[in-house]
Amino acid sequence: MEFSQFIQSLLNGLAIGSVYAIFALGYTLVFSILGIINFAHGAVFTLGAYFTYTLVVGEFSNNGLLKGVALFPNGSPLSGHPVTFALATLLGAAGAGLIAVLIERLAFRPMRSRGADPLLALVSSLGVALVIVNLIQLLVGAEIYNFPSDAYGETPAALSFTLGGKIVIIRTVQVIIFAVSLVMLAALGYVIGRTKIGKALRAVAENPTTASLLGISVDRFIVITFFLSGFVGGLAGTLVGTAFGVAGPYFGVTYGLKGLAVIVLGGLGSIPGAVAGGLVIGLAEAFVPAQYSAYKDAVAFALLFAILLVRPQGLLGRAAIQKV
Amino acid sequence: MIPSTRIPALATAALTLSLGLTYAQKVDTVVIGVAVAQTSNTALLGQEQVIGAKFAEKFLNGRGGINGTPFKLAFQDTGGDEAGAINAFQNLITKDRVVGIVGPTLSQQAFASDPIAERAKVPVLGPSNTAKGIPQIGDFISRVSAPVAVVAPNAVKQALKLDPKIKEVAVLYAQNDAFSTSETGTFQQTVKDQGLTLSTVQKFQTTDTDFTTQVTAVLNAKVDLVIISGLAADGGNLVKQLRQLGYKGLIIGGNGLNTSNMFPVCQKLCDGVIIAQAYSPAQGSAANQVFVKEYRAQYKKDPPQFAAQAYAGVQVMVEALKALDRKKKLNTYDLDDLRVALNKQILAGKYNTPLGTIAFDKEGEVIQKEFYVAQIKMKDAKNGSFVYLK
Repeated sequence: MEFSQFIQSLLNGLAIGSVYAIFALGYTLVFSILGIINFAHGAVFTLGAYFTYTLVVGEFSNNGLLKGVALFPNGSPLSGHPVTFALATLLGAAGAGLIAVLIERLAFRPMRSRGADPLLALVSSLGVALVIVNLIQLLVGAEIYNFPSDAYGETPAALSFTLGGKIVIIRTVQVIIFAVSLVMLAALGYVIGRTKIGKALRAVAENPTTASLLGISVDRFIVITFFLSGFVGGLAGTLVGTAFGVAGPYFGVTYGLKGLAVIVLGGLGSIPGAVAGGLVIGLAEAFVPAQYSAYKDAVAFALLFAILLVRPQGLLGRAAIQKV
Repeated sequence: MIPSTRIPALATAALTLSLGLTYAQKVDTVVIGVAVAQTSNTALLGQEQVIGAKFAEKFLNGRGGINGTPFKLAFQDTGGDEAGAINAFQNLITKDRVVGIVGPTLSQQAFASDPIAERAKVPVLGPSNTAKGIPQIGDFISRVSAPVAVVAPNAVKQALKLDPKIKEVAVLYAQNDAFSTSETGTFQQTVKDQGLTLSTVQKFQTTDTDFTTQVTAVLNAKVDLVIISGLAADGGNLVKQLRQLGYKGLIIGGNGLNTSNMFPVCQKLCDGVIIAQAYSPAQGSAANQVFVKEYRAQYKKDPPQFAAQAYAGVQVMVEALKALDRKKKLNTYDLDDLRVALNKQILAGKYNTPLGTIAFDKEGEVIQKEFYVAQIKMKDAKNGSFVYLK
């Protein structure tokens, strides 16, 4: 492999890996607190993108019950779309966070209060995911919606440089996603490691019963966790939507499966692990030779399998300690 | 207690009864089945087919239906996979008791579900199944969608007219889609037949969104022409990423990209993509012009090929039923006999549809004379049109 090709694959891998990482952060947050996988995270990711699209464009033009309906008619606060893309992204993410809280109320809390098996909560969240996906299709159809091409202002579509006489190219939007995922990681790391909320979250994750004896409202912190998870997921949805388009209601499903592989690879419940796992899987896919790139999913999961054979706790997970 | 050794035999018998043996019953209301994808990723195409079929129902019933008697459409969702298509076909045959079926959406679904209709002796008209071997599934299987082998070469010839200097070609296709793999075979053969060099062949999945690897390979191959066989979402995204990463040459899109649903995906970057078409809104027949006018009035855009082909599928069934009814009243038929007679009549007739004049050979393959090559011209980020290239 030529050096320029190596660098190109490295950049491609970091770009797509950061998408997986930012998606998996939401999974990891919920798992670290409740010890369960929220299968509706893919649907929340999708909703984040649709919420932002609604704020930016204000109309779904193709199919579904909302076809042609002006969502912000003249005279309403948002008519004429005074919302900038950055603000719409944050509001979309906040909306996704609220949906995640609602999912916690509907799919997880009733199960938890009855002491149900975690597997039931997982299936319950899968049901919620399917309802959300089909509801999206009912409202706005199955078509792809794309953000306006000037979403990021006047930035060039791609950045390129020459290496050994060969051009190496990366899309600007992927650089932005990479930068945002690093910022998100740092922000989450700070919130969980350095703030009171973070301490309380860690306490709930460690032992909910003891945490509640210490005066921490476990339910409240679970809600906060779901909101953060949904916010991160919704933000990821918008970012991926700007890179690849909001590819219909099932847009989050593929990422959902890949995100699952990422958190297992990185170590269940580990935030740095989610990022490491995302980047490893992204890089593994990027280094699959181009003519075999359709098999990149198989390569990613084979790598997952190989690493788990050597480190069952994942790359940065902690081995379970058993009391004897 | 049933001995376990007899369960398979009983199950087979039950299945045979449910699929093959419809008890003798006269046909009161003529119901035509439409089995297309209303959910899943394939719904992007299926939704257009539902619209096309409903247009046909409204328009043809408005013109007297079947010699004065209205017909009904029964819709079943196939989803995007084979199991969904099989379920939809079974429901239409046994529950809705249809005289014939227009569907399914995808070729790979047709390979799974058409044999069900064949065993039950129910005529099927494929509205968008273009892969090789569809009419050969059985005597009751026909299609209104022209095979890719006929349509695709026109686009390559047209690209060479636009740019005679083309030498190096890259071909990309969705390997998880039967129609795309069938179409790319035709494209690759055409490239060789035209004396061009096939520099690189790249595969992807219809579910992919990130095509950086494929695009990088295409750019490194320094090609003059890129040919894409995929569907609207993945194909549009691929066009977008090719352009964003600096590819400036001509792009040909296969039949799956022949829909205005691609416009919102690649927006202004769709501009200039060449598409081989089995349907054009510019086709001048009266049947097509009425269809186009109605569609534009309701949807503010030109009808896509998938809607037109579904419309044509329903229209062929209805006209064949009209011809049968003139010979012998439909309500005097048993359903089984009507299905068999309808299949024969479909193959015997000639139809003026929005696709132009079509007929069928004895295998059920569509005989269509008019094909088109169009180039996408975008007015703005959302709106564009297929400009017919002479």
